[in-house]
Amino acid sequence: MAEADNKPRKLTLYVAGQTPKSVAAIRNLERIAEELAGQYEIEVIDLRQHPHLAREHNIVAIPTLVRSLPVPVQKIIGDLSDQERVLVHLKVEN
Amino acid sequence: MASLGAAQGGEREAELRRRLAEAEDTIRAIREGEVDALVVRGPQQDEVFALGGQDSYRAFMEAMDIGATALDADGKLIYANAALCSLLGRSAKDLQRDGIFAALGDDAARIVRALIRDAENNRRSRQVALPCAGGYCHVEVAAAPLSLGFGRGHAITFTDVTERIETEAAHESDRIGRSIMASSNEAVVVVNRDGVITHANAGVRQFHEGSSIGKSFDRAFHFGFGLSSGLMGGGDLIGVALAGTAVRGIEATLKQDDRTRDLLLSAGPLRQSGDVIGGAIVTIADVTERRAAERRQALLMGELTHRVRNTLTLVMSIANRTIAGARDMADFRTAFGRRVEALAATHSLLAEGTWSGLSLEELINAELAPYVTLGSDRVHLALGKVRIAPNTAVALGLILHELVTNAVKYGALSTEDGRIAIGTVIDGTTVEISWQEIGGPPVVAPEKMGFGQTVIARGLAGSGLRPTEVEFHPEGLVCRMYVPLELSEAA
Repeated sequence: MAEADNKPRKLTLYVAGQTPKSVAAIRNLERIAEELAGQYEIEVIDLRQHPHLAREHNIVAIPTLVRSLPVPVQKIIGDLSDQERVLVHLKVEN
Repeated sequence: MASLGAAQGGEREAELRRRLAEAEDTIRAIREGEVDALVVRGPQQDEVFALGGQDSYRAFMEAMDIGATALDADGKLIYANAALCSLLGRSAKDLQRDGIFAALGDDAARIVRALIRDAENNRRSRQVALPCAGGYCHVEVAAAPLSLGFGRGHAITFTDVTERIETEAAHESDRIGRSIMASSNEAVVVVNRDGVITHANAGVRQFHEGSSIGKSFDRAFHFGFGLSSGLMGGGDLIGVALAGTAVRGIEATLKQDDRTRDLLLSAGPLRQSGDVIGGAIVTIADVTERRAAERRQALLMGELTHRVRNTLTLVMSIANRTIAGARDMADFRTAFGRRVEALAATHSLLAEGTWSGLSLEELINAELAPYVTLGSDRVHLALGKVRIAPNTAVALGLILHELVTNAVKYGALSTEDGRIAIGTVIDGTTVEISWQEIGGPPVVAPEKMGFGQTVIARGLAGSGLRPTEVEFHPEGLVCRMYVPLELSEAA
């Protein structure tokens, strides 16, 4: 488990400026991050400011949360309002 | 190898399944409204489009109180908000059918088209007058390029600034009005419809101590009007102005402390927007000085007329009397000429002093100068500083003329040794002027009284003082003339 704990973990949230779902997703992710207690490095990317970054993870719909590490890459589309579902997704794949 | 190939095939299948699941999840999320923006691949770069954004944008546009419209690249109306429809007085359907430019009118349409051409890259704005319900309104029109789903167009906003411009104009008018009031030499008062003073310039303070603002015109100023004006009080004047009639040059008086001021009042209606009379403007000019000057002028004119008439009578009298005493024509010419010259000399002196009187010494010098060298031993003057009033000067001048001509003909100045002494004694309210001849031929009193004697005896009779006394002493003639002190001025 100690080995697993040392693995780099990263979550990236893609938003589009101040759209209602983007704002909601950022709020919800803040709550989930508290739940995960610092296990993940978290980054938020505004695709209105940096549209070229969409290609890295092949983003189509906004908002989308990407767990880029550990592999395999996982995507959760939506405003992350279903916290249980998000946590299950992240843990199951772990 | 076979197991390796099977393993690779398995991985590819798992990858495909994962991508399929992701695609299905994306579609589901879009369908269920879990997303509100999409990334679309562009030829150069990806673009982000908000879903349902147009509806929220329109809701926002409808909530705005400024007129807004979106036009396509050809100027065709795509959308106009309710505020614009209301501003132009057209329904959205009318605007869709006729186009925005038809509703703007020719002039404004030309300006807005030019604005759109200029706004290809940047926002441009200009002020235009638009035909509105109830006349024209001033509108700030701004055009900016707009990206539309199917290409490019323009967003145009219309901000009604009529109120702002009218307020600015009103402020400007107010400012101008105030400066006119402030710079006016006359006192200017503005009253409202109730006759209460709302504005007063600095000039008003000379007629009213402290601030007059807030007081009723009638109570602030207690004017007295002549009967001919038909006005009873200041309130009547305001009433006339509020009824729409301007009145000018109404004469009035104002008692302040212990003096009465002569005033000229003018009043007129204060017309506000339309023809509504919102109050009255009253100007008050102090003409006390002018009236006093006019009265002085009238007095001087009367005096001049009186003097000219008197002088002409005097000349007639001099002529008649001189003829009576003349031996021949040559004698008459000499005597008459000299008497008229003496009269002219006195008048010249008076005119130089602008009729305000002259000193006794000046008068004596003027009368004696043609006959005797002044400052010589033959004339001894011992005069106090006595100033002679104009009326007294004329009479005294004629008497002195008669005395000196008689002295030249028969008295002290007819010999080589004769002398004349002239002196003054001031006694209470009277100045006694004495003329005394010494060293001439023996004097004999004349048998009949000529004009010269009449002039001497009666010339100063009008002063109401002691009559002029003439004594014919053998050693020389003595004459005492009395001039009132109030008509002279002892310095």
